[in-house]
Amino acid sequence: MKIRNKPGGVLGIVAAASIVALSLSGCVRDGAGQGGGGSSTSPGITDTSITLGVTTPLSGPTAGPGTCTVAGLAAYFGAVNAAGGVQFGDGKKRTVDVKSYDDAYDPQKSLSNFQQMVADNVFAVTSGLGTPTNRAFRDAAISQEVPQVLVMTGDPLFSDREESPWQLGFVPIYQNEGAAFGKLLAESGAQHKVAILSQNDDYGKGYVSGFKEAIGGAANVSVVGELTYEATDTSVDAQLTQLAASGADVFFNAMSITPLVISSLQKAQQIGWKPSWFLPSNTSSPTAILQPGGATAYPGIYSVSFSKAPQSPAFAKDADVVKFLADLKQYGNYPDMPAFPHCMWSYMVGATLEEAFKKMTEPNRDSFMTALRDIKGLQAPLMLEGTAVDTTTDGQPAVSSVLVQKYDGRGYTTAEKFG
Amino acid sequence: MRTISAVLANRSVRASLIAVVAIALIVAPLILPAFTNQTLVRIGVYAVAILGLNIVMGYTGQVNLGQIFFVGLGAYVAAYGVNHDWNILLVFVAACVIPGIVGLFVALAAARLGGLAIAMVTIALPIVGVPLAKRLDEFTGGSQGTSARFTDAPDWSGLYNDQWQFYIVLLVTAAAFLLARNLVRGRYGRSFGVVRENEAVAASMGISPYRTKVLAFTVASIFGGASGFLYLAAVQYTSPETLSFGHSISLVAAMVIGGAGSITGALIGGAYYVFVPQLTNAIDPNLTAISQGAILLAVLFLLPQGLVSLPRVIRRLARRRTAPSTPSGKPPQNSPVHHPTTEAAVREGLETQRGKIDHED
Amino acid sequence: MGTFIQLVVDGLATGSIYAALALAIVLVNQATGLINFAQGGMAVLSAYIAYAFTRLGLPLILAILIAVVVSFLIGAVIERFLIRRFEGGDPDTAVVVTIGLLALVTGICAVRWGYNNLAFPSLFPLTSVEILGAVVSVRSLATTVTIVAIMVALQVLFLRTKLGLALRAVADNPSSAALSGLPVGRLLMVGWGFAASLGAIAGVLVAPQLTLTPGMLDTALVYALAAVILGGLSSPIGCVVAASAIGVLENLAAVYVPLVGHDLKIAVPFVLIFVILVIRPQGLFGRKVVVRV
Repeated sequence: MKIRNKPGGVLGIVAAASIVALSLSGCVRDGAGQGGGGSSTSPGITDTSITLGVTTPLSGPTAGPGTCTVAGLAAYFGAVNAAGGVQFGDGKKRTVDVKSYDDAYDPQKSLSNFQQMVADNVFAVTSGLGTPTNRAFRDAAISQEVPQVLVMTGDPLFSDREESPWQLGFVPIYQNEGAAFGKLLAESGAQHKVAILSQNDDYGKGYVSGFKEAIGGAANVSVVGELTYEATDTSVDAQLTQLAASGADVFFNAMSITPLVISSLQKAQQIGWKPSWFLPSNTSSPTAILQPGGATAYPGIYSVSFSKAPQSPAFAKDADVVKFLADLKQYGNYPDMPAFPHCMWSYMVGATLEEAFKKMTEPNRDSFMTALRDIKGLQAPLMLEGTAVDTTTDGQPAVSSVLVQKYDGRGYTTAEKFG
Repeated sequence: MRTISAVLANRSVRASLIAVVAIALIVAPLILPAFTNQTLVRIGVYAVAILGLNIVMGYTGQVNLGQIFFVGLGAYVAAYGVNHDWNILLVFVAACVIPGIVGLFVALAAARLGGLAIAMVTIALPIVGVPLAKRLDEFTGGSQGTSARFTDAPDWSGLYNDQWQFYIVLLVTAAAFLLARNLVRGRYGRSFGVVRENEAVAASMGISPYRTKVLAFTVASIFGGASGFLYLAAVQYTSPETLSFGHSISLVAAMVIGGAGSITGALIGGAYYVFVPQLTNAIDPNLTAISQGAILLAVLFLLPQGLVSLPRVIRRLARRRTAPSTPSGKPPQNSPVHHPTTEAAVREGLETQRGKIDHED
Repeated sequence: MGTFIQLVVDGLATGSIYAALALAIVLVNQATGLINFAQGGMAVLSAYIAYAFTRLGLPLILAILIAVVVSFLIGAVIERFLIRRFEGGDPDTAVVVTIGLLALVTGICAVRWGYNNLAFPSLFPLTSVEILGAVVSVRSLATTVTIVAIMVALQVLFLRTKLGLALRAVADNPSSAALSGLPVGRLLMVGWGFAASLGAIAGVLVAPQLTLTPGMLDTALVYALAAVILGGLSSPIGCVVAASAIGVLENLAAVYVPLVGHDLKIAVPFVLIFVILVIRPQGLFGRKVVVRV
């Protein structure tokens, strides 16, 4: 051991020093690290182009939805660029570049990616998936005054203007989705016993707290069982067995893992438990989840949504859906039918950003944020009738209106009442 | 090459070289771009974690797949301290001591086991740690994690945040490396090596394998805690994701790639841990899994002893070219510095891995 | 009582997923003396290969057989051209090489087939039968039966056949195996090939339930490792028993021990491992190894 270390030690130090020396040969500090606001031109925007950055999981367990968050955005702006670009509010026409970075759902890496984006002169960070990964660089984005907007997390913190002046969430906060279903159930008037299963993190907790708040005053709804599971679990059979024993007629399942939802749908009917289900917006795909799960065995599968489901036969010929799928294939490098709604969501993020670009009067981040916070009633492509982008309400993300839908064996139809 | 080594061996030359490096490290952040500083800061964070791992795995030969748990614990303790306005020194001490105590208790039990059993017990730490961190949300902030800003540069310093963080991390990292260097070159370092090579021999030499393993494991946990403190200094946020099992595996990989059983190797391992994801992102963010795997395999295929062995390999190749009379043929598969005893010990180690041996101290 | 039995049955079904992968790990360890972290990743690749052949219109069973054969070749090639370089070196390095291999294989699957969950057809129908008042799906019943059959076959292979003996001899001590005339290199290739084939079977058995994704077996790998250590690295029976025990105890602890709950149930197998290893360091069914100075 000793012999091995000695020369290595010294040479190693030399090696380390040479790393530093190499870096020294790079540019000398000009104080570009901080700031970015002001009335002048911000980094990442020229007279002909603007650069957006996305840090999102592109490898690891959450890579499925993660790749979608990039693909949808790239698809939208790919099509826009092909048509010549966006006419900005300052009169210039610019193309939109999207740079993506893999953070593998690791907060440390997302911060590193953010720092890299600052060095790479990215105008704004957008569309990235994940609560911890977005939180990890939220403070840095605030202090460097870099927009971190329309991110894919239902964490309410990102839509709190005082706490998060440079942030804005895109998807409805989890609480809203849970509450929408809770309200429907409470208004039904009939007696219901509810079993709850939720993911053991802010995602699951958000859904459950929204739901419970909505049924708070209702005498006709009681919670008879409440369990959690881990996102890394391979099976939730034990939870289902336990919940089935509670005799509930409504099953509120705040679950974000596709195979677990499928196997839950199969398992519950095997053990003879056939309640009405509630499923979150990101795990209620008719073809990818409900069909293989045999969902027609249940009296009702309810979900919330604000986007058209391309898989659903009802929308197969819809103009938005056709264009979306074509763009996704051509510009998003995503030839398959998307199994995750994040592809649609990030496409809408693209439309929302374009709207903000059209409104921003100066080529800087301040003007962008002002424009972004002033969008109301925008019917982005793929949005369902009755929902719209509204960025003007403090405490709410860009999309806060959701519709409760019921599965009809092929796709979804809007549910006015429970049952 | 010989002559350069000879010059380097000279005491005064070495001292002045170290002085040059020290000055370079102190001046560097003032002129480097922010992103370079931030990258160097992260290298420091992980170098300390890998250094600890190297002490228990590289030097003492005990597989530890749970080092990230101690990093996460250190970060959580630091976050708790910062958010409760503890003195910063107290925060640092607590972030080292608490993981150290936990590590000691784990080691007292785990060191009784041999080979893979230790690996299993250490795997359990991050696996159980993640749900535990979520459950103890009063202390940890639950799955949303917790922010703690304490490393923004104070006004009097006139520095940017990244420069201030650089100095904090430099201070702790340098201290950790000096301590580790003295530890492994001293009496304990020798017992680590003997236990690694053959526990039975160690026992016959009057070295208790049990106590040695406990010591190595505890030291590794303390370094893990220190690394966690630095993590919080650099990232200013921690969540259950920080201590996920996958990162622990990556730490082990980075240690072996840097060079197991080498202090410099730990530094290189830290650089590898931080650089490679950046590099693979630059290649193609959609291909990171493939390119990270390929880089890892390529490096180990060329340098099974890790990146730290690169100078040795170059020297050997150079020597072979100057002396063609050397019997040509395959290069030795093992360590370029060949000890018959090490060979035997590695074999023995393999067997230790395979079946469990019930040798108590 | 009904719930209790159902929980036990559910646990056995989950345990069979862990057992499938654990058997492959035991096989590669018995044949090469290595722990292969990439075993799960390779099994997923095999399942993708079977999937690709079904998409070409082949019947499922034929696609699986082809995948098993192709996997054997892949395993042998990986051993010959990658792992061979690290045989006899530092075991830590070899383990890290398998970690790199895991990343590479996962990445290849992701690039070729994407991260979408793919529905993998099952050999067995999605119906269920009642046993002792508990509902058991035919799929998990058949999975369990297959795994038990493989386990018996492996036990026979290792203990009763010449090939098995030779494989073990090479893993135990390559130099004396070589001295006694065994073709060490070829045997190591065969060992990896077998393990990869077994992984392929494991992959196609669990893919219908977990749905095919590049990271399908990542969590199961940890459990499989736990089962392998608990059962004893040298015993196929041991690891199947251990995997089932882990599945069952985990469920029971989650439901009946409030302190554990569903979030911390993953701690149960590890506590179990710890207690058992302190009492029996070689695992439940492992053989004792005597060390020489």
